[in-house]
Amino acid sequence: MTPHVILRVVSKFLIPLIAMFAFYVQFHGDYGPGGGFQAGVILAASVILYALIFGLDAAKKAIPPSWVRIGMSLGVLLYGGTGVATWFLGGEFLNYSVFTPDHPSHGQHYGILAVELGVLLAVASVMVAIFYAFGSRQPDLTDEDW
Amino acid sequence: MDILSAYPGWLIEHGAALLVILPLLMGAITAIMPSERLSWVTTMIVTLVLTVTSFGLLLTIMGGESQLYRLGGWDPPHGISFVIDGLNTPVLFLISAMALLTTLYALPSVAAEVEPKKRPPFYAAFMVGVAGLIGMVVTGDAFNVFVFLEVSSISTYVLVAMGASRDRRALTAAYNYLILGSIGATFFVIGLGFLYMETGTLNMADIGRILADLDGGSRVAMVAFGFITIGLGLKLAMFPLHMWLPGAYAHAPSFVTVFLASTATKAALYLMLRFTFTVFDPSFDYVITVVTYVLTGLGIAAMLFASLQAIFQTDARRALAFSSIAQVGYMLLGIGIATAAGLSAGYLHLLNHAVIKGALFLCLGAFWYRYGITRIDDFAGLGKMMPWTMGAFTLAGLSLIGVPATAGFVSKLNLVKAALDKEWYWAATIIVVTSVLAIIYIGRMLLTAYFQSPPEIDGEVVAKNEAPLMMLIPMWFLVLLSVAIGINADLISDAARDAAAVLMSGGS
Amino acid sequence: MPSTIILDIGFMAMLVVVAIAIVRLRSLFAIVMLQGVYSLVSAMWFVSLDAVDVAFTEAAVGAGVSTVLMLAAMLLADRESLPVPMSRQIGPLIIVVLIGLAMFYALGDMPAYGDPHSPANSYVGMDYIGRTADDIHIPNVVTAVLASYRGYDTFGEAVVVFSAGLGVLLLLGLNGNAGKWRAKPNGVRISKAAAPAARRRPLPKDAVRKGDAS
Repeated sequence: MTPHVILRVVSKFLIPLIAMFAFYVQFHGDYGPGGGFQAGVILAASVILYALIFGLDAAKKAIPPSWVRIGMSLGVLLYGGTGVATWFLGGEFLNYSVFTPDHPSHGQHYGILAVELGVLLAVASVMVAIFYAFGSRQPDLTDEDW
Repeated sequence: MDILSAYPGWLIEHGAALLVILPLLMGAITAIMPSERLSWVTTMIVTLVLTVTSFGLLLTIMGGESQLYRLGGWDPPHGISFVIDGLNTPVLFLISAMALLTTLYALPSVAAEVEPKKRPPFYAAFMVGVAGLIGMVVTGDAFNVFVFLEVSSISTYVLVAMGASRDRRALTAAYNYLILGSIGATFFVIGLGFLYMETGTLNMADIGRILADLDGGSRVAMVAFGFITIGLGLKLAMFPLHMWLPGAYAHAPSFVTVFLASTATKAALYLMLRFTFTVFDPSFDYVITVVTYVLTGLGIAAMLFASLQAIFQTDARRALAFSSIAQVGYMLLGIGIATAAGLSAGYLHLLNHAVIKGALFLCLGAFWYRYGITRIDDFAGLGKMMPWTMGAFTLAGLSLIGVPATAGFVSKLNLVKAALDKEWYWAATIIVVTSVLAIIYIGRMLLTAYFQSPPEIDGEVVAKNEAPLMMLIPMWFLVLLSVAIGINADLISDAARDAAAVLMSGGS
Repeated sequence: MPSTIILDIGFMAMLVVVAIAIVRLRSLFAIVMLQGVYSLVSAMWFVSLDAVDVAFTEAAVGAGVSTVLMLAAMLLADRESLPVPMSRQIGPLIIVVLIGLAMFYALGDMPAYGDPHSPANSYVGMDYIGRTADDIHIPNVVTAVLASYRGYDTFGEAVVVFSAGLGVLLLLGLNGNAGKWRAKPNGVRISKAAAPAARRRPLPKDAVRKGDAS
């Protein structure tokens, strides 16, 4: 890799901020715009930015492809699992109110939190997976390619 | 109703949701399984549970009870709801049962056609595809249809493209399918947007009620109907929109072709029925015009042109794919007749054709499995080389033609009767003519298989090599089922009549 | 109110210009970049329509990650698209014009822009706004609809994303090593392999067509 000093320094500073912003978007989704989809994409963007600047291999060391594979499934399972849990508590699929029968709206909060986390996990993993898949088909990107 | 009492109560109560959720969640688990055998066993168990559950639902429907399942506990129209009624339950059972049979067949077939380490995600994609089709059929919410249309489509594109390890053309076929499928989905969702603009709701029953109050609604609803018809038309391979189908069926892995041919277009056709007759209503001028002239016209065109094209194919799978397009034409004709008899004949043909075409593609997959052939010229001597498979192929082929005592005869006879009732003598004539065309393209394969001698490789006649039992069982099951329907069609005719009754009553 | 209408018209005009530029260009790099621009402009337009959640998604997904993914995909292919002969553009053009006409036909009966009494603004949508505070106790109605009232749809969308990931996994592999394996019959192969091996350059358009739609 050619030493892009400015890029490296700036991105080292930016990447954690991007990831943190993703979590802000995730957990602030109840109050402002945002939610799992957007947060997942932003989180994936931080990983992709890392891969672009420090190379795909470094990114794969930080976030191994096997994690990404599991993350994809885990996201769907977390969402669906929340629904299955409501099933076992005697409600319809995804009827979060059964989590706290006394305060249905609290149950809704927990349910929304859980499914949004599932969406975050699925979306972020899939975006990173797609980038890994495309990125791995070619040698490291040279400057001319960008 | 004895069998029904053996079902646990929760299975029937939550069965509708289980049909979608189980394959989705197990698909997600299967995707990360390390062992291919374990992933196959999981798929087998899941499809078995689906079949049992949908059979239970079928029994409750036959007992005269329809169900509404409110997801998240929200009442429609605010929440999404599932509907279990006489129209969709037979299709649900069809999809589940075909998934079970093809999974049985998949063990040898996938072993020959899919890379070992890709098999767990492959089965996962298959399960997601099954769940997508079931989700499209079971739901009572128009937008939810779109979501599950996407779920089933995306996994189907992938499954088709997996044929690339057998034939690289699978990739272009899958790409064609992807582009056309996405255009179809876009049309569908634009139509839904217009419907929402007109009615302010997404629940199908609610839309139907509001449109009926508005007496068909304004031009917005009219254009929405057009967009939805074209969008679904692409998915069900309605005649000029069928370009994706032959390539996809010809190059997909054998087991995927079987499943697609017997379920995917059927689910889309079910949606066409649902939207045309229960969301919209034939009492609206624009709907009846489109049904009578456009759908009938395209159906007839499909029957004639696709049958003719089937005759001129060199590849057997492609010939049968064109035949599928022609058969969709029959079903569209049934819709076009738009009487209770026509609808029930079309619906009956939908079920019968799934059985017949499933059996035929199972046989073609077995031919490839043993000898690596798909071209009709290579069929020479198959009657001696694979007598049991060829026997099944012959019976299923006869059923496709519509020889008496087969399922194909029953549905074609009903269709002719319905056409005659409506005094559409020309339509009845065309049904007979296209059956003759079917004799030609099926006959060609049979003649090559039975009256030419097996080829020689290195001076030796190719030895007999029958398909494994795992392939013969699903194949003969479907063939015998088709004969059984041909001999006594009461049960399935009743189901079709109930479905038509739901349609004629506007879905209530 | 009129000022936002002027803004809307401006954004829509920009979208049209960008779309035409995308159609006219042949350099894939420029097309990918313009697609990002298109997404950003539509995100701004959504903000002006008060659909901030949609705008956020469009900016993050459309302008952000999908541009990067498109670039990564583009690097695997050519940098220029082949010219498409005029004869092959006429059919799609006719279809697009017909669709446009159909939409214009519906236009006359559409509710007025922003009409508070239109069905879309008064029926179920209004109910959500009224009920969310009681049912779910969160201020963002969009999140309530997405995750609870229509949570099952969102589950479906998560599965759509999952199956896209599954597709990439199956077709490309995460380490770029998929696609070498060949299927073989479990017996004697009678005919030779049906298709030639994949070529470096894409086949001419006509050959592909003949193979797929003969």
